[in-house]
Amino acid sequence: MTEPSAPVWLPTRALGRTVLLTGLLLLLGVILGRVDLVLLAAPFAIGAAINLHRRPRAVPEVTITADEGHIVEGGEVEAGLTVANPDAIGYDLVVVRARTSPWLRLRHADRPFAITVPSDGWAAIDLPGEATRWGRQDVGPAAARAAACGGLLACRPVVTPARGVRVYPVTEPFNATEAMPAAAGLVGAHRSRRPGEGGELAGVRQFAPGDRLRRIDWRVSLRTRDLHVAYTLSDRDAEVLILLDVLGDVGLPGGVRGSSSVLDTTVRAAAAIAEHYLHRGDRVSMLEFGASGRRLRAASGRRQYLTVLEWLLDVRADPVDDISLAPQHISSSALVVVLTPLVDPRAADMLAQLTQTGRFTVAVDTMPKDAAPAVRNQWTPAATRLWRIERENVLGRLREHGVPVVTWAGAGSLDLVLRDVARMASAPRGR
Amino acid sequence: MLTKISKRAGRLRTTLSRATAVPVIVRFAVLLTGLLALGVAWPAELLATRYFTLLAVVAVWPAIAPGGRGGTAVALTAIGGWLLDTAGFDARVALWRVLALAALLYLAHTLTALAAVLPIDAIVNFDVPGLWLGRAAVVILISSVLIVLALGLTADLGGSAFQLATLAGIAGAGVVTVLLARMARRE
Repeated sequence: MTEPSAPVWLPTRALGRTVLLTGLLLLLGVILGRVDLVLLAAPFAIGAAINLHRRPRAVPEVTITADEGHIVEGGEVEAGLTVANPDAIGYDLVVVRARTSPWLRLRHADRPFAITVPSDGWAAIDLPGEATRWGRQDVGPAAARAAACGGLLACRPVVTPARGVRVYPVTEPFNATEAMPAAAGLVGAHRSRRPGEGGELAGVRQFAPGDRLRRIDWRVSLRTRDLHVAYTLSDRDAEVLILLDVLGDVGLPGGVRGSSSVLDTTVRAAAAIAEHYLHRGDRVSMLEFGASGRRLRAASGRRQYLTVLEWLLDVRADPVDDISLAPQHISSSALVVVLTPLVDPRAADMLAQLTQTGRFTVAVDTMPKDAAPAVRNQWTPAATRLWRIERENVLGRLREHGVPVVTWAGAGSLDLVLRDVARMASAPRGR
Repeated sequence: MLTKISKRAGRLRTTLSRATAVPVIVRFAVLLTGLLALGVAWPAELLATRYFTLLAVVAVWPAIAPGGRGGTAVALTAIGGWLLDTAGFDARVALWRVLALAALLYLAHTLTALAAVLPIDAIVNFDVPGLWLGRAAVVILISSVLIVLALGLTADLGGSAFQLATLAGIAGAGVVTVLLARMARRE
């Protein structure tokens, strides 16, 4: 035997007041023989009869609508709430409230909305606004409470789960023009150091068996009276591994126009670097240095760029006590771009390990310039200074070990350091 | 204790700063109709004294906390005043006073019901108070016709008011009982 479910429509205090006043006035009228008292009860009795003539049975249905399009930080968002009334009588009042992510600045989203919904009808509330930070931002949950029968009955609150809006990171302009340290594939946009079919002219040499006739340089051949061909450097692609240090977050995120936390800088820089190299035809993979160690396999093209953006939406601070990176899982020819605030000593160890195992590693410092812990007592400024000195020491030691560290500053951030890495890569490997 | 008071004051400040026009107007209307109902019901001699302050405090109650028992308190106070005036001060039961009191009591009651379900910081569609007041107007119109007819009958036919009140009261009680029984069966 099933338990009877609790009624969804409940009498309000107004109904109790109606019954009390009607009963009391009628009773007093009869006892005292006062027709005026009976007549004073008339509006309450008539109001109750009119309002309770038909009673609602169904509760309102709330639907949250949110933009499905490609929204970038700072872009406009179109969200909304739709309240439907499946009942045969209209709701006199429906109060709808929705909680939204603090990174969605939707108009009046922090206030309840009071609307009427006709029978078998619906009413919509538009919530236009702006997305101020990357990530999966929630619109909702939304709760609705309806009142019917002139406020004599009210339903229990109906809650609808949240709906996520995907807000992609804004890609800061980035343009690294320097050569890749190591090209791996057979085709691509980078000139390699090996001769082959490509567009980059390497020189002119005497014709040899196997050379294509269209490669013959007729001008040189006529001058030297011997067949010469122009030879080129082959074009290669490369793999770029973007390694994200997510062991912690530092700094206060302030949205697209405010201050940036470490994760903000990390995600925006990763998106920009991935966009740049994927646009050039390279293969890009992603790896998290954190508890879950999420990984995105290397691929190239526009589809991979969209996958990278989707992957970046789930980046969270992911602290863990025990962590180690297995360098053998990283391609030896890949350019490893490590985005790290270098706060955790394990990040510095990981960088040193990568360099020791012969990976072409570039560290991008994502620590905000003005990041400092909250002042708790008189020792905090001194402790902060000590911490900064210690961090500078770590950076210096990393540079001594051959790990180039560059502060992310958008365009051209990596050019200088990539040139150094490319020069190092051209030297014979000792180990 | 002091922390609690300052917290409450802070919450009140936040609530007032977020208040929107329509809910505030509805609450003001609750106060106004309550005050007018008390003014019509209570003897004029007492209204000019310090008792008016007490009545005003009672009228403010449902405007501040419409979800509480303030609405019932105002209605009961008005009925008490009406009984005091007509029985204690021997005031004549004038048609306009019965009409005005019935209309004001019902308006105060239904506006309190609206204010109770309408958050003070809500953005309100204008059809919400429009629909609410339209229905209240229909109820008041029907009641007014009934009151005029009933009081006219007692005056014109010269019949015993006691008998009419008894009949009307019993009929009314029967209607309310049937209504409540139907509601209970539906639950």
